[in-house]
Amino acid sequence: MKEFDLEGLSREMPYKMPEHFLDDMTERVIAQIGKQNKKHKEGRIIALFASAASVAAVALLFLHPFGSRLDIPDYDSISQCASVDELFQNMSADELGVYSMMSNYYGN
Amino acid sequence: MNRDRSDIVNSQGSLSVSDESIARLLCDDNHVEEALRLIMKKYGEQLYWHIRRMVVAHDDAEDCLQETMINVYKYRSTYSNEYPLSSWLYKIATNESLKLLKNKSGFTLSVDDLGDSLKNSVREEASPDADETLILLQEAIALLPAKQKMVFNLRYYDDKSYEEIHQIVGDSVNTLKTNYHYAVQKIKDYILEHQL
Repeated sequence: MKEFDLEGLSREMPYKMPEHFLDDMTERVIAQIGKQNKKHKEGRIIALFASAASVAAVALLFLHPFGSRLDIPDYDSISQCASVDELFQNMSADELGVYSMMSNYYGN
Repeated sequence: MNRDRSDIVNSQGSLSVSDESIARLLCDDNHVEEALRLIMKKYGEQLYWHIRRMVVAHDDAEDCLQETMINVYKYRSTYSNEYPLSSWLYKIATNESLKLLKNKSGFTLSVDDLGDSLKNSVREEASPDADETLILLQEAIALLPAKQKMVFNLRYYDDKSYEEIHQIVGDSVNTLKTNYHYAVQKIKDYILEHQL
């Protein structure tokens, strides 16, 4: 039976590789990796800022509870103030003069 | 490390850079780019043709080679010098080729069902002045099941030993020998049948 001599055949390929293909490919791969690295680094920076912001927010909650941060009058202590008469009694003559002027001006 | 680096820089462009030196550069974040350039210089052509023999079309080979190199970069920390660098590179290239063929075959077909379509691509991709027997040889290879194709190509074109093919493909040496034997027989039969 006829036998084909495979070993004696040329190892050449019937296709061609485009000129400069490998050099172009090298540059493309390096560029692609650079792009991926940049994205990865940006992602890491954003993640770092996000975690720093979360930590800061939690810390603020502990260090400055809302009650003490807002300027809400302390109604309990106002109610414990001296009466209006007592306040007038403690006013100096000048203060009383100014009060009287203001009252006349605003029609009070 | 410094001595190795200067050796490589001096010999850049030649193929005399040892795989050990390239592997060391690959694992060093400051010299990865240099390592990838050296890999392309030393193995780029071999890897391209290994992939092209599997996928046939140049455009597909281009995609596969690019993915291969990106995976070399991505998984560089997994490389163990227990195996030759070339085997590791061929393994990644082989996996990328199989992945591309799998994507082409879709969910319903297997990679081995692509034989006829790959065979048709051989003639489309062949140079106008290509030798007819070489075209027939590639058609015969295209029709082989993926495993036989891999083993045949690595042995016949890349001159790999069965031990090296085992490192790339993973099967036992005896299985690889059987695959090669069947591949050779099918190729011879195809060429005899189609030769004028």
